[in-house]
This record gives sequence, C-alpha cells and structure tokens, in this order.
Amino acid sequence: MGRQIVHRLLVSFPALLGVLFLCFCLLQVVPADPAMIIAGPDAKAETIAAIRLELGLDRPIPIQFLEYIGRVLHGDLGRSIISNKMVSEELALTIGPTVELMLGGMIIAVPFGLTLGTLAAVKRGSIVDRIIMAFSVAGVSMPVFFIGLILIQYMGFKWGLFPFTGRTGPIWDGGLPSLVLPALTLGSVLIGPIARLTRTAVLEVLGADFVRTARAKGLRETVVIVHHALRNALIPVVTLIGLQAAFLLGGAVVTETMFSWPGVGRLAVGAIVSSDFPTAQGAIMILAIAFLSINLIVDILYVYLDPRVQRS
Amino acid sequence: MSVEALNAPAATVEETGVLSRTGVLRRLARDKVAAAATIILTLIGLAAIFAPLVSPYDPYLTDLTKVMQPPNEQHWFGTDNTGRDILSRVIYGTRNTLMLGLVGVIIGGALGGVLGILAAYYPRADGWIMRLVDVMLAFPAILIGLAVAAIFGAGLTAVVIALVVATVPDVARVARGAAVGVMGQEFMEAGRAVGVSDRTLIWRYLTLNCISTIFVFLTLRFGQIILIGSALGFLGMGAQPPTAELGMMAAQGRDFLFMAPHIATIPSFAIFVIVLAANLLGDALRDVLDPRLQT
Repeated sequence: MGRQIVHRLLVSFPALLGVLFLCFCLLQVVPADPAMIIAGPDAKAETIAAIRLELGLDRPIPIQFLEYIGRVLHGDLGRSIISNKMVSEELALTIGPTVELMLGGMIIAVPFGLTLGTLAAVKRGSIVDRIIMAFSVAGVSMPVFFIGLILIQYMGFKWGLFPFTGRTGPIWDGGLPSLVLPALTLGSVLIGPIARLTRTAVLEVLGADFVRTARAKGLRETVVIVHHALRNALIPVVTLIGLQAAFLLGGAVVTETMFSWPGVGRLAVGAIVSSDFPTAQGAIMILAIAFLSINLIVDILYVYLDPRVQRS
Repeated sequence: MSVEALNAPAATVEETGVLSRTGVLRRLARDKVAAAATIILTLIGLAAIFAPLVSPYDPYLTDLTKVMQPPNEQHWFGTDNTGRDILSRVIYGTRNTLMLGLVGVIIGGALGGVLGILAAYYPRADGWIMRLVDVMLAFPAILIGLAVAAIFGAGLTAVVIALVVATVPDVARVARGAAVGVMGQEFMEAGRAVGVSDRTLIWRYLTLNCISTIFVFLTLRFGQIILIGSALGFLGMGAQPPTAELGMMAAQGRDFLFMAPHIATIPSFAIFVIVLAANLLGDALRDVLDPRLQT
C-alpha cells in the first residue's frame, strides 16, 4: 500500500506545479504594472523603479517563478492591493467557514444519497425506484443557485426560519442557524449524483454470490442489505463521492457568493471582480490545492478499502 | 457487466461504428421520456436559432413605465427591474447559454478526442498525454473560469476556455479507452499488414470507430457543461450586462428576489429545463448506442 501512496503523491506533483504556475501567471499577466499600482498614481519614476527592484520584477520570468515558489513555501502570498493586508492572513480567516460549509453539505448529502440510492436498488423497477431516480435526475440537472434562490425566498424570507446572509460565527458559538441554508443548498445538489451512483453500485453487489449465500443461510433481509450489499457497494461510492469534489468545490463558490458566506470562494470572486490579483491568486491556489488533496485522500482511501487495487 | 459484453467488443464496435445507423432514431422514439426530451430540446434549439423572429419584444428595450411586472398577458414571463421583457431575454439568454455549451463541448471534444486517440495509437506518447490529462483534471472548471476571468477579464471567452478545459480530460480518457479497444481489432492489424499509412489508420480506422462513443459521452456531458457555464455567468465571470445570458440574468434578479422573484427564478428554471432535457436525452442515447459507457 505504501508504494501505491508514494506513486499517487508523485503523480500529483506535476499537477501541483501546474497550480503554482497558473497562480504565478495570475500575478504576471496583470493588465496593469503592479509596481505602478502599489506606488500610486502620483509616484515619481524613481519610486516605481525602486519598487520594481524590490519586488524583483526586473529579473527573468523563470527566476521569478522559482522565487515565487520559494515565497509560497514560506507562506508568503503577497499583500492585497485593496486592503493592504497579507493575503495569507485573509485566507486563514476564510478557510474555516469554507470547510464548515463543505462538511455541512456532505453531512446532509451523504446519508440522504446513500439511503435513497440503496432503497432504489432494493426496490428496483418499482414505483419507488422510478420516483427516486426521477428525483435524482432532476437534482443533477438543477443549477446550485436555483435551489439557493428558492431556499432564500421561502425558508429565509417568507417563513423567516433561518438567516440567509453572512455567518454569525462558528458552529460551537451560535453559528449553526446561519449554516443551515447554505449547507442545505450545497448538500441538495449532491444528493442526486450520490443516490444514482449508490444505486448502480448496490445493484451490482446484489447480484453477487456472497449476497445469495447470505440470503441462503437465512439472514434477515435488512442484515443482507446493510451489512453485505451496502458495505461492499461503499467502495465504488467512496471514489465516486471523491469525483464529486469538483462539483462540491464549484457549488461552494456559488453558494458562498449567494449567501455572503465569508469563505475562500467568495474571497476569490470578490477579488477578481475588484481586480485584487494577489488575493485572487492566493484564493485560487488554496481552492486548487484543496481539490488536489481531496482527490489524493480519496485515492488512498480507495486502496485501503479495496485491497484488490494494489495488484493492478 | 456481463461476460458476454466483455468478450464481444467487436460486434459492438461494428454496430455503433456509424452514428446515423438506421434504427437509432426509431429505438429512441420508442422511449417516451427520450422522445419528450428530444422534442423539448429541438423546440428550445429552434427558438434559440430564430431568437429575433420568435421573441415578442426587443430583449434590450427598457421601459421604465413597466418595471417588475409579474407574468401577464402582454409579458408572459413578466418584466425585469428596467422593464425589459423577460420572455424575450430568456430566449436570447438561451441562445447565448446554448452557444457557450456547444462551443465548449465541440472544441473540448475535438481536442480531447484527438489526444485520447493519439495516446492509444502511439504508446510512447501515451504516458505524456495522460500525465497532461491528469494535470488538467486537477483544475475544477469553476476554478479555471475564475482564473481565466482574473487574467483576461470576465467575458464569454473566459467561460468558453473554462468549458473546454473541463471537457478535454474526460473526453481524452473515454476516447483512449475506446481507441485501445479498437487497436486490438484484427482489421487494425490487417490494415497495418497491407501497408496502410499511420494517418489513414488513425483517421479512417481508429477515429471513425471511436466517434460514436465520444459523441455519446459528449451528449452526457452537455448538461453538466451548461450548468458550469451558467454558474460562471451567475458569478459574473461570463457575459456582461446588458447581454442576456441565463446565469447572469439569475444573478441580476437576485437583488429583487423579495419584490419580484420571477426575475431570478424564470431564467434559473430555463437552465433547469435545458439541462434536464439534455441529461435525459444523453442517458437514452447511451442506452441505445453504447450501453457500456458509464457516467
């Protein structure tokens, strides 16, 4: 298993370099000269030249890229053009809320998705199966913001059940009500795909010999379904949930923007809209690295759950 | 997957080799859901193509005497905050949204298809191409859209680039998988034995036999691509006002959600209908043309 994990780490290295290069480009291809922006409109030519020297903007691009990697490794992502705060400090404040939102979404989506998918597989071909599948196709086809708009309008505005702008604080400090609607929005788009994948996986396992054996030796149907079928079906489901990471990340960016949730995604969108390139670069880098890490963890989990993978 | 399906790629490849094989349409028509989805998509497509003829009003004409009207007889979908007719804007918005998705899927599909097929044909290039694909997979489409919009400025180009990058790696994998299957066929060996050139082998023998798999996969992806495109529009990374694009229209309507919810919900619902129809048609097409392809 160790070799497998090392191999995965090696494979994700070029991807990491790609992420860094893209973020570096973000700082390079800025339409305006960063030195001029920092110096301000009335600055003398010498001041601009001095800032340029200080930022190392006179050196060749490959050297600058290496220096950039060095800075990133030291946690230095530059300063925001707008607020003049360190980007790393601003990012540190936003990571918590984003993780909270994603976990909240998963906590809603995974149990619902697994239950509905298993139910559909067990009642294959019945009206229950058809309804669940219709529901999940509709879910897969729903724009995240559509669900968000409906939840805001009804549960937030008309019925006044939950707050729908901003985050009042961490969960352990009375922040739970403000998390409900964003997490519901993000979670509900994931229920459909997870239910669909679970159904396929459970159906495949239900036809297996060991399920027939379990039934033949007189186990109760619930035990067969939960302990034998669902447990084995979880292996592909875990990977497939991992594949939804892109979905989750994109959904989080939209959800955060809608609910003014102070996370990384909203920081990125806001920074791009206001041409704050250092902040945009930092936020995009964190999101991309988060995505890479999720995939890595899922791959490792997969090897752990299914020892057969090692052989191939 | 049954053992027969695994052992019989030859038959499947020949059967699905040509897209417009007779019977496909007939089999599709037998599936009521697929038929309905096809009709809806066709109508939406026609409305988008003939948008200037179909829309009752000028989508950009503001009328401050008719602001935020709910759906009524003159304006079936109501009017927005500047008095523009929402039905007309939805028709034009659909045109832009569909165009984005199509351009993304066609360019991405072509690039990904070529990469995948070349990877299968030249084992030496295989590792490099697939490594490149892995790197591309490391970027979720929304992130690409954000990054491109940050570098070049928000606009339709940024969205198209993001959609292409989102399409290429998956298509490359599917195309490679299909092409590796075809490579093992006897006719490939026969072609090589009688001295057919690499170019002909790749284009006539390999590509033509993979194209239906790629096509089905792209149909399956189309809905998702539209969703990504409209999400980028919603985030303000795509079409800029006053251009009508469904995602952006939903974002603009958000500010008036409590006074006039229809401004935001109608464009959102339009996206839902398009994507749903595309997904249903994609599923049905897969079942008919290429049941082995899993999403």
